[in-house]
Amino acid sequence: METLANLGLGFQAALTWESLLFCLLGVSLGTFVGVLPGIGALATISMCLPLTFYLDPMHGMIMLAGIFYGAQYGSSTASILLNLPGSPTAAVTCLDGYPMAQQGRAGVALFITTIASFLGGSFAIILLVGFSPVLADFAISFSSADYFSIMILALCAASTLSTGSVIKGLLMVAVGLLLGLVGTDISSGAARFTSGNIDLSNGISLVALAMGLFGVSEIFANLCRGEYATVDARAITLRSMLPTREDMRRFWPAAWRGSVVGSIVGMLPGTGPTIATFMSYSVEKRISRTPEIFGRGAIEGISAPEASNNASVQAAFIPTLTLGIPGDAIMAVMLGGMLIHGITPGPQLLTDEPTLFWGIVASFWIGNIFLLVLNIPMIGVWVRLLSIPYHLLYPAMLFFICIGVYSVSYSTFDVLLTLVFGLAGLFMNRFGFPAAPLLLGFVLGPLLEEHFRRALVLSRGDLAVFLERPISLIFLAMTALVLAGSIPLVRAATGRVAGLVRKRG
Amino acid sequence: MSYKPKMARLMRRLLIGTTLAATAISLPLMTSTVMAQEDFPTRPIRVIVPFGPGGLADVTVRLAGEKMSEILGQQIVVENHPGAGGVAAAEQLLRSEPDGHTLIVMSNGTTIATSLFTELSYDPQSQFTPISTVAWFDLVLFSNPDTDIDSVEALLAKAEADPGSINIGTVNPGSSQNLAAELFRSVTNMEANIIPYRTSPDVMAALIRGDLDIAVESYTAFASAIEGGQVRAIAVTGLDRNPALPQVPTAAEAGVENYDVTGWNALYALDGTPDAIIDALHEAVATATEMPEIVQKFADLGTIARSTTPEEMADRFEVDRQKWAEVIDSAGIETQ
Repeated sequence: METLANLGLGFQAALTWESLLFCLLGVSLGTFVGVLPGIGALATISMCLPLTFYLDPMHGMIMLAGIFYGAQYGSSTASILLNLPGSPTAAVTCLDGYPMAQQGRAGVALFITTIASFLGGSFAIILLVGFSPVLADFAISFSSADYFSIMILALCAASTLSTGSVIKGLLMVAVGLLLGLVGTDISSGAARFTSGNIDLSNGISLVALAMGLFGVSEIFANLCRGEYATVDARAITLRSMLPTREDMRRFWPAAWRGSVVGSIVGMLPGTGPTIATFMSYSVEKRISRTPEIFGRGAIEGISAPEASNNASVQAAFIPTLTLGIPGDAIMAVMLGGMLIHGITPGPQLLTDEPTLFWGIVASFWIGNIFLLVLNIPMIGVWVRLLSIPYHLLYPAMLFFICIGVYSVSYSTFDVLLTLVFGLAGLFMNRFGFPAAPLLLGFVLGPLLEEHFRRALVLSRGDLAVFLERPISLIFLAMTALVLAGSIPLVRAATGRVAGLVRKRG
Repeated sequence: MSYKPKMARLMRRLLIGTTLAATAISLPLMTSTVMAQEDFPTRPIRVIVPFGPGGLADVTVRLAGEKMSEILGQQIVVENHPGAGGVAAAEQLLRSEPDGHTLIVMSNGTTIATSLFTELSYDPQSQFTPISTVAWFDLVLFSNPDTDIDSVEALLAKAEADPGSINIGTVNPGSSQNLAAELFRSVTNMEANIIPYRTSPDVMAALIRGDLDIAVESYTAFASAIEGGQVRAIAVTGLDRNPALPQVPTAAEAGVENYDVTGWNALYALDGTPDAIIDALHEAVATATEMPEIVQKFADLGTIARSTTPEEMADRFEVDRQKWAEVIDSAGIETQ
């Protein structure tokens, strides 16, 4: 009952003229930068942060948050239409979204991803409204040992990400893990694999890697092939967006599972939406009776990750608002924005500033409804943005990718790195090495190592800690199940290799 | 607090924001002009911050910058150029003219960086010239309120009774927090594990969870947890008590000798900037940091607004540089 009264208070604050205006501004800007490959939410929020100093704190937060979740909606559009992910998280959406577009089902894919995003976002908002304090306590009870076991599970799931050779997929995971090691070692402060280059001492930029491997390489590949993926804006009509009954039957369970996975991963500080999308994609492929259709336009393959990534960004507000513990870099910037106004997010925010807290929460929902409108009836606007002729589109995309990569840390070195990864991606594409497992390995590698080492320091070197902590034990048991399930896959792969060797010999 | 500002006020705020953004974009396009020193400043002043927006060092500069804008009659535009060792920010300054229209923020972290990075591409002591400090910050030793570590004495007693059992958490090796913990461990001769985390919130979560006995962090980073009673401040690292935590003793008051960790951030200009301009800028910082509004706002953030003369600043830089070089060396932190 109290929650309802609070929500009422929140909607009162969020339904004022100004709040609505800033919410709309935020989500529109978010969708815009989401659609453009390269420029992501972090860069946009950092750039907009100084503007919010001149706003009422609630309006400022509403706008910044709108950019954050708005970008998640927008980032799937270019993935589906052009195979160019708008952000690293949308790389997963390329896997099945682009094949759907090639089959002439781009409209359906756009519709499904938007609905999935809405569902995921709403699910996490309900958790935020109803169970924030409990969930926040739960989330910070995860110790390094528990994180390690979750990462192990995520890593094992990586083998499902590739459609082709399992061996090549695992190889790419290993390459990703190695790339993740570049930079300053968190435990000792030593520089690793930086060749004395100070630009590398903070590690390889995730945005540079993802945009190089997925964005730049796709543009290069199209240019090499001499075929240009063009978007026919007229083909994306409202009618073309209507999914079939069969589509919807497969959509619902996947989107729910995605929402749950995304919410759990999202509320854990330090994980982030990229891991959430990869995990939910793996879950879908694992439990599917028809895993072979994944990578060829499976509805589940876009529904679950999109629901998951939106659930994850909304759930990230749970520890940020209720404990003052930001889950990732974007949350940390927003926290800084609140500090400037003299507001400290934390357990007392709910009692000290109820209007602010509930106003922001209520604005999330309003924002998600705005996004639904922006992305279904008005999808044509965004599609048209991408349907300009390729001789204008490709240079423009490369331009935006460069700006986006540069804006993360104002580093020209990162821009060069993007080019290098673009060329590497082109090579990988040619020889059938999948890029998605590499990206996952890259994201997980440093976390895996950091938590493994810290868990052992805390336990004074006792490996039993991974089995003694219940959360860790559960995840390790799940990992064992996944591995057991993989045995036939591995056997098939090794059998094929053995067969090849025999043939050659 | 009212959430219904008048539309007019709102539009004005928006306009200010847009103008600011436009200025920031057009600035690099302007060429520097020869000008008489008496009419300094002739255009907006860029302040390059080597950290991301939103942190304590950034926020204090922005607050003081706002007042300096009023004093100098030109907009102060804060630009963030984060990156390892402050190199990206330094490069921005080195590319500008020594005319006082481009400034940089140096901090305690810079004095550490000069030892941590063996091949730093810039030398703050010879290439930059100090104007004044803006804010001074101490760090705080926090414990988990569920434990019996409620004072430095209790901490040292526990470390003595059960050697090696104490876990101290800080952010990255080589950070001010990390070196403050290393120094604390060495001056008290206590046995403890210093465990690095990636971010301050990670440290906070680990302390609340009970993985750590002690965390070394700034007041602001843990402000919400202090208010919520989830962490307990047992000592501050500076020579003076923290304005936001008047009841918490300094380490020296708690019986730890030879221990003072006080960080600062300061404005620097390019070496070769005319003295008259340095004086004008120094004057502006000094006036801004004495304004009651600034003193109060800084105190709320757990920092002290205080200016120094350029000479004092240069000395302080050298003293801190030597101090941290020794700590890095004796703690065996790997340099890059």
